[in-house]
Order: sequence, then structure tokens, then C-alpha cells
Amino acid sequence: MMEAATLLWIYFYSVLLVTVFLSLYGVYRRPNVLKKIIMLSIFGDAANVLAVLMGFRKNAASPPVYPGQTYTEWSAPNSTQLQQFASAAVDPVPQVLVVTAIVIGLAVLIFLSAAAILLYRHYGTLDVRLIRQKIIEGGVEE
Amino acid sequence: MSSEEALAIIVSLAAAALLAVVAVGQGLVPVASTDLTPLARFYLLNVYNGSSQLWGASPEVITSILWDYRGLDTVYETAVFFLAIIATLTLFRDAKLLPETAGSGRGMTVIVKTVTRITFVTIPIIAASIALHGHLTPGGGFQGGAAFGVAPLLLITAFSLRLAAERGWSKGKLLTVRTAGLLAIGLIAVSTPYIIAALGGKAGIGYVMQNQPKAWAEVGWPYAIAYAGMRVLFSGTLLFLNLAELFAVSAGLALVFTVIAMPTEVLEKGGGVKK
Repeated sequence: MMEAATLLWIYFYSVLLVTVFLSLYGVYRRPNVLKKIIMLSIFGDAANVLAVLMGFRKNAASPPVYPGQTYTEWSAPNSTQLQQFASAAVDPVPQVLVVTAIVIGLAVLIFLSAAAILLYRHYGTLDVRLIRQKIIEGGVEE
Repeated sequence: MSSEEALAIIVSLAAAALLAVVAVGQGLVPVASTDLTPLARFYLLNVYNGSSQLWGASPEVITSILWDYRGLDTVYETAVFFLAIIATLTLFRDAKLLPETAGSGRGMTVIVKTVTRITFVTIPIIAASIALHGHLTPGGGFQGGAAFGVAPLLLITAFSLRLAAERGWSKGKLLTVRTAGLLAIGLIAVSTPYIIAALGGKAGIGYVMQNQPKAWAEVGWPYAIAYAGMRVLFSGTLLFLNLAELFAVSAGLALVFTVIAMPTEVLEKGGGVKK
């Protein structure tokens, strides 16, 4: 009999894997460029959640912020307190990577949206099958 | 969707679940391990440790890693984001935002408009809170700016782009705010050597992108200031970097939303720009 925690982890991973597979299916099979972009951003978000999930630790769920600071008060912790803090905090490195990945993902999303608008302007459709047909037929009338 | 395709989807979903069961069961993926990676342990122990040579000197580990330990990474990451905005602007350089090029100005229903009137005020407050607490809690300038960006998006969709144009929005103004924010980030990052030069060169040692005074580099932005009995903690440059990033990111996002929301025929023919 598996522990409840292990079952929960299987659940987390399978939900994320299902999201990843579904979004890849959307990118690969949906003909609409806009839906491809939406699915690509869902894929990126699922990857980010996966990264943060991997930074989680058993019995150590506090965020990597030293407790007891306010806008006006701060006390330097001694080494015992630091060890205690390090044993209770989650892994900060995946979170930092995710912050970077979110920014890059947003940049890609902005550029893809602009490119989709241009695609529509040029071909009059966002359906990749129709775009392919128009290209095969010899370009678009200006 | 054909039935074969549906079957393929169901089979691959089942395969995903099975893969997760096997991966967790065989220990192929991290399942809430109790130990930290050496890198994570290094960051957690050094950020708050004033006696360490690698003291981060800021009150939050993630902000500290982003701006202090991996500052150049963050600078280039911000550069990628702003290059994307510049690329978008270049693609639509023929269209200028004027009331006559901003579409019909009809907007959505009264219900949506009333709700938007309330949220249009509250969203910037939340964004400012996220950005101003960036050095104390998770979040920061970019997150605050991304939250702020929702407000112009709501205004454009619920009211109209025409209203925004009539109230004096223009691509030039938003671009100015964005550029000012970026310039502020650059100037703050290289400011410490200039502070030393301004003090006559005898003040001590300070480095480019240095955050706070340390034992081996005495010059830097102060950790906190006390004024009239109040002590405000802003951890060196972090608060100002977060504020500048808030302005730059929110103006950049508003710019992109404005450009993308312009009517198709204006984008096609170009409007308001002299050839």
C-alpha cells in the first residue's frame, strides 16, 4: 500500500504530463495559428509548474524568505537560525529559473501574437491548411 | 475530430498517467526529497549571512539571486523582453494611434464597463504593492508590471481603444515612459562608481552593480534610511530597480496591447504616419 503523499505526487505528475501532452497535441494538430499560440503558452506554463514542483521538499514548505522582516524591522540571523531556515525553506533555484522563463515566455507570446496578426493581414486567414494551399497555388494576389 | 484521433488522445493520456506512476514509483523524478541541492543550500545560507564573503545583503533570497548573484542574467533577460516589444513595434510602425484610427469606440455593455471602472483603479494598487514589496516578499518589478498591464488591456477591451486615444494615449508617450524606466535601471546598476567619483574618490571601494555597502566595499546604496523617527527598509538598489522595472514593463505591455488592438484596416493601410 502506497502512502497518501506518494499518491498525491503521482497525481501531480500525471496532471502535469497530461497537460503537456494535450498542449503538444494542440500545437501539432490544431490548424488555427491562434490556438497553436495558446497551446504553446499552456505548454510553457506546465513546464514552469513542473520546475517549481521539483523544488518542493518533504516537511519544508516555507517560502525562501527569512521570517520576521517588515518594512522597518530586520535582524541578522545567527548561524543556528540560518541552518534552521535552510532546512525549512523550499529550493529557491527553480523559482528563480521560472521567473526568468516567465519573462522569456511573455516575450515570445508578444512576438507570436504580432506575427499572427501579420499572417492574417497577408493571407486573410489563420488556418494553416488554407495558408499552405494559397502558397502552393502561387502566392497571394497583392 | 475523427474517432481515430480521439482514440489516440485517450491512449496518450493513459500513457502519460502510467508514465507518472512508473516515474514516481521507480524514483526517477524528485518526490519531495528532504535534502537540498548544493547550489540551493549555498544561496539559502549566504544571502542572510553577514559574515560571509558572498553575503547577498537583501532580505529575500529570490530577489537576491535575481539582482545580486545573477544580475547580468536578469539584465539580458529584460533585454530579450524589450527586444520583443521593439520587434512588435517595428512590425506595426505604419499605424499611429489617433482618435480617427482607433476604431469605432463602441465598447462592451454597461455591466462590464461599471466593473471595469472599479477594477481599473484597484489593479494598479495591487501592482504597486507587488512591486514595492519586491525586496521583502516573492514578486517584484516585473510581476508588478505584468499585473499593471492588465489595467490598460481591460480599458481597451471593455471601453475602447478610441477612448484611450481621445484621453491622450499615444505610442510616443508610452515609449517615453518605457525608455525612462529602462534608462533608470541602467543608471542605477552602474551608479556606485559614480557615487564614489561624486564624493571625491576618497570614500572607498564600490563596484558596478553593487547593491549595498559591504565590509570589503564600503560604498553603496544604503540598506535603510531613518527619517523623523521612521525607519524605511529598501535594501540598497533593489526597491529602485523594482520601481523602474514596474514603469518599464507596464508601459511596454500597454504599448503592445495598444498596437495589437488597433483595427485591421488601419494596420493594413497605415494611418497617420507620413511616408
